[in-house]
Amino acid sequence: MSAASVTKTSRRRRTSIGGGLSPYFFVAPFVVLFVVFLIAPIGIAIWNSLFSEQSSGLGFGGSETLFVGIDNFVRAFADADFIEGFGRVLLFGVVQVPVMLLIAAILALLFDSGLVKGTRFFQFAAFLPYAVPGVIAALLWGFLYQPSVSPIVQGLSNIGIDANFLAPGTVLWSIANISTWSTVGINMIILFSALQALPREMYEAAKLDGAGQIRIALGIKLPMIAPAMLLTTISSIIGTLQLFNEPQVLKSVTSSISSDYTPNMAIFAASTLGKDTHLSSAMAIILGLATLVISLVVLRLTNRSTKKAQ
Amino acid sequence: MKAMKLDRFSSKRFATAATAGVLAIGLLAGCSSGGGGDSTSADGVTKIDFWGWVPGLEDLVTQWNDENPDVQVSFHRMTGDDGTKVEAAVDAGAGPDLVQLSTHNLPDYVISGRVQDITEYVTEEEEKFTPASWASVSLADKVYGIPQGIGPAGTMYREDIFAEYGIAVPTTWDEYVDAARAIHAANPDVYIANMAPGEIGQWAQEIQQAESSWYGIDGDTWTVGVNDEGSQLVAERWQILLDEGLVTTEQMWTPEYWALVNAGKIATVTYAAWFPIQLAENAADTAGLWKVAPMPTNEGSTNAGDSGGAAVVVLKGAQNVEAAADFASWLNGSDDTQDALITVGGLFPSTTTGLASDALVTEQPFYGGQEINEIYIEAAKNTPSTWVDGPNYGTAQTAITDEFAKVINGEETFLEALYAAQEATVADLEARGLSVSE
Repeated sequence: MSAASVTKTSRRRRTSIGGGLSPYFFVAPFVVLFVVFLIAPIGIAIWNSLFSEQSSGLGFGGSETLFVGIDNFVRAFADADFIEGFGRVLLFGVVQVPVMLLIAAILALLFDSGLVKGTRFFQFAAFLPYAVPGVIAALLWGFLYQPSVSPIVQGLSNIGIDANFLAPGTVLWSIANISTWSTVGINMIILFSALQALPREMYEAAKLDGAGQIRIALGIKLPMIAPAMLLTTISSIIGTLQLFNEPQVLKSVTSSISSDYTPNMAIFAASTLGKDTHLSSAMAIILGLATLVISLVVLRLTNRSTKKAQ
Repeated sequence: MKAMKLDRFSSKRFATAATAGVLAIGLLAGCSSGGGGDSTSADGVTKIDFWGWVPGLEDLVTQWNDENPDVQVSFHRMTGDDGTKVEAAVDAGAGPDLVQLSTHNLPDYVISGRVQDITEYVTEEEEKFTPASWASVSLADKVYGIPQGIGPAGTMYREDIFAEYGIAVPTTWDEYVDAARAIHAANPDVYIANMAPGEIGQWAQEIQQAESSWYGIDGDTWTVGVNDEGSQLVAERWQILLDEGLVTTEQMWTPEYWALVNAGKIATVTYAAWFPIQLAENAADTAGLWKVAPMPTNEGSTNAGDSGGAAVVVLKGAQNVEAAADFASWLNGSDDTQDALITVGGLFPSTTTGLASDALVTEQPFYGGQEINEIYIEAAKNTPSTWVDGPNYGTAQTAITDEFAKVINGEETFLEALYAAQEATVADLEARGLSVSE
């Protein structure tokens, strides 16, 4: 947008509405929603986390809300199961995010290479699971994991493999499978769009220099879409830390998932089942900060490595 | 974008921006309309909002509205997790006037002040209800609700399986363990029962039978008995059944669970009076093969158990408490409503009239024509009134189901689970400033 065109449009607006007010008018809905649904809840959560509902005796005399400072944070950190949940989602993320992104990158490169026939159909097929809401996806996979109703388990057992997708040791990876299935599509699309935006002439030049398709993919395409990879990595990490739908749904079909299996489930349990919104606010803030810190660390590390590469 | 001059932020601009903001807030407010306390309109008609989940309540509400033009009730059917919304709705001042509630949760509502004392409006109601159900809505000499149905337990069993292997239907829990061994020995594919770690009601009915109570009141102090003697007795029994591999351990209500039931791999289900119809609906292929027997008893006792009932309570926001209490009394206690609650609602009544109703005792084709509720009526009479509900039932329930899941996964024993859940429950009450002793 050139400076001239800006002046022109703003002058026109001034005549039609009067004053340079229209930007505020258009921005207002966003700002209001942003404040009401993001800033205000965070503020309320921080405020809430500093208090506690206290009764005395049998409690029938009612309760009062007392300022307790960081007590709720101390309680949250002292809850071994809550902390264990962080370890669990980190383990999950370390495995699931690279695997998922690897699959998404391979698919995106394949679709971009022009080697695949029926690209549109396969792209659509790969993207479709993303259109299935998380809860529904978990329900669908829940059926495929339960031995008596699962064609997969029965098929495997026919060829002599005794699979238990819901055992304590395997259920985390069964959840990882659901989220990979759900999110590969969208990440593939993001990476694919980044690939499509690259100038084609570079491939010509590389080909003249004798580079094959794989060499072009690894040497040119992937480094060029590094920013898109970073975006997908960070949003996937955030998604991992927020893990809730899949384990919460599978919880109803297996005893291998406790009510505080992931940090978000622990927060849900503390607020709706334990009815302690103050404690759960503190837990939510801890989760938010952990997400922020991990995202910043990933950002810092990748920035450093891209700089080094350049 | 330097052309835009932000420094000239006049009051006029602010006004426009503010207007846009107000519009947006208006949209937001639109999302949360609805609900609200009762109101008496200009023509003197009291309006009451009522949330509940029992089937057929719509018809009863219509009947009331026809008979009482001055007090008009509007009904909202609770589905899914509506139960968890009630508290937030009440706190936001957008809750209904009346809500159906599990009596296990009542103490929490009383402590948090979300429910109103209706003692003065219901003094004449008490005699209509069974003592145990009236006790479940009374706390510290005040009445906070009108009982709506109870959950006495019975044992549904596969008559054909017991007959095929020549095993007698157990009447005591000792016989039950022996029968479990005999059935599994006769056919390794068949198990006496399913131990669902998350199905707290099945645990509750058996520990109540053993005269356990998670909570108690000792003067001005709560006592917590998640690991008390009665619970330990039940824990030992299930430990044997689990250790010897005599039970399946699926979560209840899952496709896997119903597949086991339909395949004839589960020989008995011990559960409340509302369960037989669930079984009939979900295991239609096994029609005619089931019968209901009294739940097995503990040695030296004729006690039965109950997994808990419901009540209709008047919430904080209600303005016309008397009208709301009157409707609740009529709905749950009137002789006119009992048959509808039983036949359409599928409720097991908490009134003496309801318990004596012919509508309750009907032949059930799924159970080979047996009048199954005779068993449940007897169970209701034999339920000890030792159970006390206490604050934060949700925490105790979550603690115990999480620990039981560990037991099922072989990480600990039922006894260890009880001690861990006891500790978690006590710690939670203490964190709330309540006075508690173990």
